[in-house]
Amino acid sequence: MTAVVLCLLGRPVLTAAVVLAVGHRSPHTVRGAAVAGSALCWLLAVVVAGAHLGDAAPLRRVVVETASVGQPLGIVVWVDPLSCVLLLLATTVSLLVQVYSLGYLARDPRYPSYAALVSLFTGAMATVVVADDLWMLLVGWELMGACSYFLISHHWELPEARAGAVKAFLVTRTADLGLLFGILVLGERFGTYRISEILSDLAAAPPMRDALWLPALLLLVAVLGKSAQVPFHTWLPDAMPGPTPISALIHAATMVAAGVFLVARMHPLFLVTPRVLTLLAVLASVTMVLAAAYALVADDLKRVLAWSTVSQLAYMFGALAAGAWSAGVLHLLAHGAFKALLFLGAGAVVHAVGSTSLSRMGGLRTALPHTFAAMTVGFAALAGVVPLVGFFTKDAVIGAAWEEARDGRLLWPWVAWLLVAAMLLTAVLTVAYAMRAWLLAFFGPTSPEHTGRAPHDPPATMRVPLYVLMVPSVLGGVVVLDPAAVLGPGGGADLLHGAEALTTTVLVALTGLAVVLLWRRRGRAVWPAMTWPHLPVDVLVERGLVRPVLRLAQVVRAGERDVVDAYAEGTEASVRGVGRLLRRTQTGRVQSYLLVVVVGAVAVAVLAGSLA
Amino acid sequence: MIGVLEVLVGAPALFAVLTLVATRRDDALAVSVALLGAVATALWSLVAWSRSGDAGFGATEVDRSWVAALDLRWHLGWDGISGPLVVMTTVVLCCAVGSLLRQPPSGGGAGRLAALLLLIEAGVLGSFLALDLVLFFAFFEVALVPMWFVIDRWGDATGRHGVELRRKAATRFLVFTVTGSSLMLVGFVLVHAQAGTFDIVALTSSYRPDGPVGLAAAVLVALGLAVKAPLWPLHIWLPDAHATAPTVGSVVLAAVLLKLGTYGFVRFWLPLTDPGQGVLVPVVAGCAVVGIVYAALACLAATDLKRLVAYSSVGHMGFVVLAVCTFTTTGVQAAVFASVAHGLITGLLFFLAGTVKQRYGTGDLRRLRGLYGRLPHLAGVVAFAAMASLGLPGLAGFWGEMLTVRAALSPAPDLPRSTFVVLAVVAALGVILTSAYVLALLRTLLQGPAGAAAPVPTDLDEPGPDAVASEWAVWSPLIALTVLLGVAPGLLLTPVGRAAVALVGQG
Repeated sequence: MTAVVLCLLGRPVLTAAVVLAVGHRSPHTVRGAAVAGSALCWLLAVVVAGAHLGDAAPLRRVVVETASVGQPLGIVVWVDPLSCVLLLLATTVSLLVQVYSLGYLARDPRYPSYAALVSLFTGAMATVVVADDLWMLLVGWELMGACSYFLISHHWELPEARAGAVKAFLVTRTADLGLLFGILVLGERFGTYRISEILSDLAAAPPMRDALWLPALLLLVAVLGKSAQVPFHTWLPDAMPGPTPISALIHAATMVAAGVFLVARMHPLFLVTPRVLTLLAVLASVTMVLAAAYALVADDLKRVLAWSTVSQLAYMFGALAAGAWSAGVLHLLAHGAFKALLFLGAGAVVHAVGSTSLSRMGGLRTALPHTFAAMTVGFAALAGVVPLVGFFTKDAVIGAAWEEARDGRLLWPWVAWLLVAAMLLTAVLTVAYAMRAWLLAFFGPTSPEHTGRAPHDPPATMRVPLYVLMVPSVLGGVVVLDPAAVLGPGGGADLLHGAEALTTTVLVALTGLAVVLLWRRRGRAVWPAMTWPHLPVDVLVERGLVRPVLRLAQVVRAGERDVVDAYAEGTEASVRGVGRLLRRTQTGRVQSYLLVVVVGAVAVAVLAGSLA
Repeated sequence: MIGVLEVLVGAPALFAVLTLVATRRDDALAVSVALLGAVATALWSLVAWSRSGDAGFGATEVDRSWVAALDLRWHLGWDGISGPLVVMTTVVLCCAVGSLLRQPPSGGGAGRLAALLLLIEAGVLGSFLALDLVLFFAFFEVALVPMWFVIDRWGDATGRHGVELRRKAATRFLVFTVTGSSLMLVGFVLVHAQAGTFDIVALTSSYRPDGPVGLAAAVLVALGLAVKAPLWPLHIWLPDAHATAPTVGSVVLAAVLLKLGTYGFVRFWLPLTDPGQGVLVPVVAGCAVVGIVYAALACLAATDLKRLVAYSSVGHMGFVVLAVCTFTTTGVQAAVFASVAHGLITGLLFFLAGTVKQRYGTGDLRRLRGLYGRLPHLAGVVAFAAMASLGLPGLAGFWGEMLTVRAALSPAPDLPRSTFVVLAVVAALGVILTSAYVLALLRTLLQGPAGAAAPVPTDLDEPGPDAVASEWAVWSPLIALTVLLGVAPGLLLTPVGRAAVALVGQG
């Protein structure tokens, strides 16, 4: 079985290499290799999952490790039910995306590099979910960041694609420092970098509550960055200029899912640090409402979906913070199915209309019947309509939060109540924005702004993935009835909560009715679309960080010029150099001051440390 | 009887002479001879590796009297610390000499340039293998002087006063490094006055620096190596030298010659320094960290491709010196790993910068735009090298930086831990700044729209062909090793770890 797992990790790299090597010489070979590689990965994932889902014993194997001093690093795999379900999710979505891209990028000259990156992306996610060695996990984790950077800037002629890609990479990489330091601290505390050993240590001798707050907090920072939660939430919507299938991949199965996965994987660590969980609950509450509000007023269909991802991820974090491991994981899976469906459907709409703006859509129900059916299922699952998968998992999540608020073991009580309130409010908002996008795109009159050829359903390569994804979106709810069969003994019992289910269903129905009524009365503008600016986070970063750094860089450059002269050309030049430097100080007092601060801080640290 | 290691040092010198002889007939023939020499040396380094065994200096150690009157010994040895650097050097030299075959320097004289490169190789290999302080110094000088000729004869002399500026860069390089190595020599003599030997193996096991003399020796050696490494604020010779040198010169300077400084820190400075004595070690570590941040800032503002790569070296060397300053086995592993990785990645970057400059006739980042559109293959390799340079996990650049941070979080017990934790955090922030300038570079150089910033003259519209086969041949060993070390860091960490234990003990 280890060999199968290693094949699964190596196969995407091989696919990428083949695709890049063939390049433009043979388009058919490239397409064949890309799809066949993904299909093989999917098959391997099915084999692995077949053996390790449910109650089966997890697979743990040291493949290779460094034999030197200190804690060994190495390739160590650990496959348990959590790895299996995520492998299935990632490889399935990736395969569908590859098939879909055959149609979507049919005439794209950059297809080879695109296909290679999608393949690597999948391999990186697979590495994350089967890694037992934390450094191996980090490798996959950051490789995903790099792949997403290149894929978001696929259309690099567009300024917003360039900017979005840089932002995505810099924000996530900054947050990833949390993971780096978190791993280092964990290694120091536990004397090992193996996840399974850390978790078994935690289980064997529960440490004092909150003794491990530092590593938990550091991991949390990385997770918030990767999964685009407040205060790192702005990169995900700004990454929308990437090709739509890539959005499906990033939002449903990889990248942002990795954040949720890490919390789920290290859940015992977070359970012994309730304060960190409380922080997570607060941030998740803020994120879910905020993102849903943005989704409510966005005019761009892809941005609606992107904000909805941020909001739904916050649901998962809310569940995990409330201690409901299986509810969080199941919502991740359900979301993976319906969000991939929604994005691929949105891609079909964009393909037909040639724009992502909702104001240029309308009345597409008749022109795109297949896409309409797919998107209807997707939106309904997102909104939590009975009996689609979103209904069951969202109910499990809200029920768990409700129990936590009532019986309170982990979170501060008021935070738990805040979480429940935020979840209910978000459930209402979700129905509203889903209904609005659905109505604006598919009902009403055809947009007056739409001109050109008649929109039509996409080719078969793009339709088939939609059909496939409709299956789990409709039937996936079955899993909630017996999570242990899939997730193993940690899955818990029946997650259906009668009272909460009834409440949310009533809420969904009422909100849906209200939106429809509003729409009937007001026509196209259910409520005005607005572009709400981001929270001032971006501005703060720009003013407080980016500009000072750039100014400092100019100072360094000027200083280099002057100082080099001063050093090297004898006294005469040095006088000139000092003169210039002094003038520099006067004209740019702030900048020089900053430089002094940096140098001074380090000097003080050195002195203080050596005196202590 | 001539030892394996003596052959390793002698072969490049011998082939340098043969190359010079061949130059009389034909430059192309001379370069072929030089390439043969470089490849033979590389293969022989593998032989030396296999003969040396795993533990200590193994079977290949050579130790005989050299200048008895001065107590100098001809002592060469191969262990887990010198070995990786030797192999890296021979590989990079193969690439550098090989590149002269199809892309001879614009001024002609490819044969003599190749001979000088081989001479530098001999000096560098000798320095890496020398286990006697003065022998190290002597080989060090052998490697420096030919570089002056390389910069002064084949350097970039475009622009007004080009020739004068080139001479100035070459001379500044020589003056700085020779001054530095003289300080180092004084330090060595002080050590001899105290311990009565120049032998580093004996010093490592028995020398305990104490008193002001011991401290002075450590300071002098640190100063000399800091110029070479280079350590902020003694780096100021570097940008001009690296930016002015011809492509192969920049490659060898960055990938190989800088490693003399970092290797010296590991092999010679560590045993001669008492971490608990004074503030020397924290100050050196502090300079290293300032260098990381400073270099990243300089890169953000850089307007010339080669200068940017040159400054990025200052930052990477900062990581290496910080790692050494922790006085731990992890730190030594980090230093050696980062040195090797930097040699591969920055060597590749300078080759690419040379290719870009050759195609467009300029390295001005304010004018270069949109490589993705014009030269997609070259642009792809640039993107790869840039990702490796910013320390993407899974490529070679990451492990050195990661191990450095890990070592700095738990330095040797004599060192102030809180200081090093602060330094580790600042160094990690430097990684973010590094990502920022690399992404800024990719955004303008690769993705930028042609002619957006400045009116593009016609010569930039016709950049010539995309990457050709001979260039791929030069780049591919570096690319392959970057990926290999990124995926399997244990290949290097295991032998280095064993040698590090001998150097600083367990911990």
